[in-house]
Amino acid sequence: MTDEDLRTYEFCILYPSNLSQKEEVDLLKEIEKIIEEQGGKQVSKDVWGKRGLAYKIKGHDEGNFVVYHYIMDPTTLKEIDIALRITPNLLRHIIVKPPKGYRILKYSETYETWLKEREGEEDRKKKEKEEKLAQRVAEKAKRQVKRAAAKKEEEAPAKKPKADKKKISEELERLISDDDLDI
Amino acid sequence: MSRNQQRRPDPRHKKCKFCLKEIVYIDYKDYPTMRPFIDYFGNIMARYYSGVCLKHQKMLKNSVERARFMGMMAYRK
Repeated sequence: MTDEDLRTYEFCILYPSNLSQKEEVDLLKEIEKIIEEQGGKQVSKDVWGKRGLAYKIKGHDEGNFVVYHYIMDPTTLKEIDIALRITPNLLRHIIVKPPKGYRILKYSETYETWLKEREGEEDRKKKEKEEKLAQRVAEKAKRQVKRAAAKKEEEAPAKKPKADKKKISEELERLISDDDLDI
Repeated sequence: MSRNQQRRPDPRHKKCKFCLKEIVYIDYKDYPTMRPFIDYFGNIMARYYSGVCLKHQKMLKNSVERARFMGMMAYRK
């Protein structure tokens, strides 16, 4: 076997979060033993910790994720898969072959930073919404003031002609009642 | 005239967002990158609407299905 036959493989493992600490350690040890028995060489181990699940798996709402990277021979993969399938206390496992030139990232950290960023974004959006609402309220108030002013203006000139009419009628009556006037 | 105003921009002219960043592999653990291509119900958005190229749509489908299997993403909301 040459070095070219070896490849990196990624193992993602999901187990329930309500296990006791001893069971947890035992489970991880067992999994590592299964892989290392087949000639795997550990490159990285990423413990994600407790995460909520998108749907219930065997009645569990929450689970712990662990991501391993191993350098190993591809022919032994099948046996590892079979062995992982019958391990107790293991909800899900997946074996992925990352492409060449894949950089191993610690997703446990990036996820947290993303969560924080999203929170910040949500706060910003909330602020923007509030600002928009305040602006709208201010505009509405302005419009109302304008409307009120317009109404007043409308009412004010309406009164003048009425007064004029009265004056005219009064004058007319005076003229009519005036006997001295000859036409 | 009124017909022209109602017409939306042609979706065929959209650029693939993964191609612009020259992404070679979409990781199933990377929820933030997959998130914009998933609708409210947890379905993968059609290529016609998202503008993703066929190569990257296949990658996306693969990684989303892996994430769904591991319980990181919902099959159906």
